[in-house]
Amino acid sequence: MLARSCLRSTRAFAGARNGAINVSKRAASSSSGPNPEASPLRLNIAAAASTAVAVGSIAWYYHLYGPTAHAMTPAEEGLHPTQYPWVHQQFLKSFDHQALRRGFQVYREVCAACHSLSRVPYRALVGQVLTVDEAKALAEENEYDTEPNDQGDIEKRPGKLSDYMPAPYKNDEAARAANNGALPPDLSLIVKARHGGCNYIFSLLTGYPDEPPAGAHVQSGLNFNPYFPGTGIAMARVLFDELVEYEDGTPATTSQMAKDVTEFLNWAAEPEMDDRKRTGLKVLVVTSVLFALSVYVKRYKWAWLKSRKIAYDPPKAENQHHRL
Amino acid sequence: MGIWDTITDLVEAATPWSTVEAEAPSSNPAGAGPAKESASEVATETVDDSKSKDDSSEGKEEETEDEPEEEEEEEEEEELKDPKETLEEECRNSKQCAPAKHHFEECVERVENGSKEDCVEEFFHLTHCATQCAAPKLWSVLK
Repeated sequence: MLARSCLRSTRAFAGARNGAINVSKRAASSSSGPNPEASPLRLNIAAAASTAVAVGSIAWYYHLYGPTAHAMTPAEEGLHPTQYPWVHQQFLKSFDHQALRRGFQVYREVCAACHSLSRVPYRALVGQVLTVDEAKALAEENEYDTEPNDQGDIEKRPGKLSDYMPAPYKNDEAARAANNGALPPDLSLIVKARHGGCNYIFSLLTGYPDEPPAGAHVQSGLNFNPYFPGTGIAMARVLFDELVEYEDGTPATTSQMAKDVTEFLNWAAEPEMDDRKRTGLKVLVVTSVLFALSVYVKRYKWAWLKSRKIAYDPPKAENQHHRL
Repeated sequence: MGIWDTITDLVEAATPWSTVEAEAPSSNPAGAGPAKESASEVATETVDDSKSKDDSSEGKEEETEDEPEEEEEEEEEEELKDPKETLEEECRNSKQCAPAKHHFEECVERVENGSKEDCVEEFFHLTHCATQCAAPKLWSVLK
C-alpha cells in the first residue's frame, strides 16, 4: 500500500514538472475521460445524494413507526426486591438445616393451608429437615389411596415415606373457588420460578405496608404489596409476630419466619444444592491436582530439550592462515 | 457470593486455628437467650466473689444492678418487635433516604390537597432505599 502511494506521488510530481507535455498527450490520445476542470460539487453529487436518501429513509421510518412504546408503569413492573446477604447462596456455604427445620414448621403451620408442595416427598425431608421417625409419623397423619384389592375397590392407607405431600385442594378449580378466584401457586419450585428468587419471596412476605400509599388504587379483594407486579395481590399478609412457636426457642418475628420459610423453599426447589457445591469443590481440587501433575510431566518430558546445549567451536585462526 | 468470599472461606477452612461452628442441639429447650444470661450471671458472680473479699458491699450493689436488666430483657421477649420494621424505620428517617422521604411526603400532601395521582412510585423509591439500607443490619440480627 505504502509502496503504491509512493509510486503515485512520484508520478504526480512528474506530471506537475512537465504538465504541458502531458496535456498535449491526453488531448491527442482520448476525449472520453472525466473533465479534470469539473467543480468539487459536481464530483461529490452522488455521495451527497445517497447520503440524503439514507438519512431521509431513516427519518421516514422513524416518522412512520416512531420510538418503541414502553407501556409499563413502575407499579405494573413491581418494586424490585433488595439483595439480601443470604448465607446459603455463597459458593461454599450449605443450607442452615436448623433454619430449614424452622422453615418447614412455618410452611406446615401457615403456608400449607393454601399452598401445595406437591413435588416434595416425605423421604426428601429425612436427614435434611426431619429425622426418619419424625418424617414417618408425619406421613402417617395423611391417608392415601391403596392399590385396588381383590374386589377392585380402592381403600385408604396411612402415608409412607415415599408418598408426596398432600395438597390442600383437590384441584386448581377447587383452589380458585376457595380463594376468591386466585390460585395459590405450588411452592415446590417457587424460588426458581420467580424473578429475584429468595429476595423476592422474602420481600413479598414481609413487604406488606400498614396502609397503601396515598392515591394508590387497590381493587376489592386484593391487598397492596409493592413487590408483586401490579401491586394488587390476592394473598393477604399471613406472617405476624409470634405466629408460630419455634421448638428451638428462636424468637418468631415476622422477618425471622419469612427468612426461614424462604430458605426452606429454596431447599425444596434445589435440594441438591449442598451436594452440588461439594461436587464443585471436588472438581476444583481434582482439576488443580491434575494441572500440577501435567506441569511436572511437561517439565519431565521436555527436560532433554530444555537442558541441551548447542556448542559451536569456531575453527582456529592459525589453521586458516595455513590453508591460505 | 463473590469470589473473595470463596477465597476467604478456603483460607479459613485450610487454617488449623479456624473455629468450627457446628451447633450442638441445645439440651435447654428455652433456647440460647436464657443460656447466655445464666452464663453472664455466673461470670458476674465470679467477678463479684473476687471483689467481695476486699469489699462485700460493692458486690451486693452490682448484683442488685444486674437484676433489673434481666427483667427488661424478659419484657422485650414478651413484646417481640420485628427488627425489620424498626431498622427500616430508622433507615427511612436517616440522612441517606431523606430525598426519597421528602418526595414521598410532598406527594402525599399533593394528593391530600386534591391532586389526582398516586404516590406508588415515590413509595417505591422510599421503600427501596429503606430496605437496601436495612438489609445487612437485618441479617446480622436474624438467626
